[in-house]
Amino acid sequence: MESVLALAWLVPVLPLASAAVVAATGKRLPWGGAEVGILSVGAALALSAAIAWETFTNPGETLERAFAWSPLGGGFVLELGMLVDGLTAMMFLLVTLVSLMVHVYSRGYMEGEARFTYYYAMLSLFTFSMLLLVISNNTLQAVVGWELVGLCSFLLIGFYWEEKSNQDAANKAFLTTKFGDVGLIVGVIVLSAGMLGLSDTPFNFGETIDAAVSGELATGTIVLGMLLIFVGCISKSGQMPLHVWLPDAMAGPTPVSALIHAATMVTAGVFLLARLFPVLAQSALVMGVIAVVGILTLFFGGLLALVQDDIKKILAYSTISQLGYMVAAIGVGGYTASIFHLFTHGFFKALLFLGAGSLIHAVHSNDISAMGGLRRPMPVTFWTFTIGSLALAGFPMTAGFFSKDEILVSGDLWALNGFATGTYVYWVGIAAAFVTTFYMARAWFLIFTGEHRGAPHAADAHGGHGADHDAQADAHADAHHAAPNESGRWMLVPLVVLAVLSLTAGLIGSPFLQDEPNFEAWTATEVIEGTTYPFLAEYAAGAGVVAAEKGPSAKILHGPPTWHLDLLGIVLAAFAGAVLLAWRLYGKGLPDEDPTLRIGPLSRALVAKYGFDAAGYRYVVVPVRDRLSAWATRVSNDVIDGVVGGTGAAAKRLAGVTYATVDQGIIDGGVNGAAFSAAWWSARLRRIQSGDVQRYAGALVAGVVLLVLAFVAIR
Amino acid sequence: MSLVIPLLLATFLFCVGVYGLIARRNAVLVLISVELMLNAVNINLVAFQNLLFPAEAAASGQLFALFIIGVAAAEVGVGLAIVFNLFRNRATVDVDRVDAMRW
Repeated sequence: MESVLALAWLVPVLPLASAAVVAATGKRLPWGGAEVGILSVGAALALSAAIAWETFTNPGETLERAFAWSPLGGGFVLELGMLVDGLTAMMFLLVTLVSLMVHVYSRGYMEGEARFTYYYAMLSLFTFSMLLLVISNNTLQAVVGWELVGLCSFLLIGFYWEEKSNQDAANKAFLTTKFGDVGLIVGVIVLSAGMLGLSDTPFNFGETIDAAVSGELATGTIVLGMLLIFVGCISKSGQMPLHVWLPDAMAGPTPVSALIHAATMVTAGVFLLARLFPVLAQSALVMGVIAVVGILTLFFGGLLALVQDDIKKILAYSTISQLGYMVAAIGVGGYTASIFHLFTHGFFKALLFLGAGSLIHAVHSNDISAMGGLRRPMPVTFWTFTIGSLALAGFPMTAGFFSKDEILVSGDLWALNGFATGTYVYWVGIAAAFVTTFYMARAWFLIFTGEHRGAPHAADAHGGHGADHDAQADAHADAHHAAPNESGRWMLVPLVVLAVLSLTAGLIGSPFLQDEPNFEAWTATEVIEGTTYPFLAEYAAGAGVVAAEKGPSAKILHGPPTWHLDLLGIVLAAFAGAVLLAWRLYGKGLPDEDPTLRIGPLSRALVAKYGFDAAGYRYVVVPVRDRLSAWATRVSNDVIDGVVGGTGAAAKRLAGVTYATVDQGIIDGGVNGAAFSAAWWSARLRRIQSGDVQRYAGALVAGVVLLVLAFVAIR
Repeated sequence: MSLVIPLLLATFLFCVGVYGLIARRNAVLVLISVELMLNAVNINLVAFQNLLFPAEAAASGQLFALFIIGVAAAEVGVGLAIVFNLFRNRATVDVDRVDAMRW
């Protein structure tokens, strides 16, 4: 039975091996290393599917294996291990599937690229990093995977490093996420410090959760540790106010954006929150903070997409918004809802990005005002993109519908427990769904309907927008105004596969699947099933709320999903309203002045991105660059260099003295003296060997005589 | 017969042998000196056997002397072969001039 789960370590190792092989031999292979990447990630996907099936059909099956790679003594062991349960299996399936699609897609999209092999090696390494994070059974190993993910995203965002703007985007992404990583690492240290006396392996997930649930872990430790870890999640998962790197990350190749947004980077934060959910469920404060950040992000992040003309930036802001949903769901006790949305969002967001890549490939521009009328020339892209948009907007029966409704229902249930955040998640979530539908409909109308407008300013469409630097753009400079064509088969097959999943992946967590096995039973670990919110009874008693008294909602799991006709009505009305509004404004082609730019101060705020970038530049970049770095230079040149130089000079003097006395005097003197005395003695003693046999015989006789005399004398 | 007579004879022969071994220059004479010394020992052995333990049936003294005679014959064979080769290579049997194996 455990045979499949025991092989789980192969899932991250296969992409790692692929990265090494591609990097070493890729340039000599006929497809430049693409075949290695596709085959190994495909094998990882097959294994992940087997693991997923095994855990799906046997809910609660778990396998943890670890070995200590550093016994430090003092009851302190660092582990390298794997924890395979439903949550891991779900992430495996998502990451390997999306990664395989991106690998296949890139074979067509990146064709003819100068650093094709480098690209594939990085892609495989990126996948490995995320899988390492997912499989880990302790926080420290998760941090290692987390940092590797950050490194790979830096390398891939800056893939077209010839342009300064892309370097800046990569630096911004790296530094912003590093800022959060400081919080993450300190949080991990705080949690493990709290665990030190309780366990030999203070970083272990399971033991941390057990200690937190049983109340052995101090509340202060939990609150401080989880809030700090949440800072890491804010930066990694693009929550406000550290979301600023995510739209700029569009500087990378479009398939990389798909990978970052769907599977390997931004989901890491949500995954870590889900993994540690029983710990953070111990504190109403932590959950409240998470919920508030999530609510702000899901609404204000979505609004930013309204004024964007760059298709990839629209999708980037929608990712921020959808991640806000997931984080908010964590904050209102929607554990299953959150990771279910993570699961379905992975598929349709990868689909949308790959579809956007197909469009960009065809028109050589990211600007939706340069598109238009692409329905007829690109039918496959059109249909798959439409399906992705519907799923993102939460149209009934698509994957996004079931998962987003789960989140709203979780908010509703949380409100029954007496928490205002639940109510906010419910209503703000619906409002954000309206906004989401509107900006996706806006993009849809501008891209696919009307006439093809072409790129009036095609020349600066690349640099000017920090846009995807399309390799073919230069080669096909003449083809700019030719009619756009459908993309090749390498790019269309992943689109179709992801479109089918965007339609069907929601069914495993839908009300159609009331009995086990379903998504909730699959991803619910044993700890989660038994855990309740300890603060709930207290809080409810104070607020006089009846619903929380040992009711089913005090448990983390809400039970199988059910139909909510009222919510379905509201969602449908919001969808219809948003589409109608978008059709009125954009249905007849691009208006002279975009209506989203004519809402007064709101437009100005949105165009300025609420001033986050400006404020970040003014209060972080400038002081760091002008003051901190100058100061650091002085410290480095004067203080540190002085210390280093002084130490060096002192060491040199000491070494000189040692050389003269110990080395030259004692050691060399001893060695040379031994050699000289041997030479002196041998020069004399060798005369004994004269070569005269008779002298030897005489010496022999003399010796015998001496011995006999001595013998007689002793007698 | 007194034991002293053969012992004196043996001592005389041995001393002549030692003198010849050390003083002679001719390699053949050196070999002959070695034979003298060996035979002095043989005389000792036979004398002791006959005069001190005449009743012993095994007569190991004589037996030992026979062994020494055999071994001496072999030794002379080897020694003369060396001397022959020496003469062939150097046209001399003067041991003073054969001192190549020195420092």
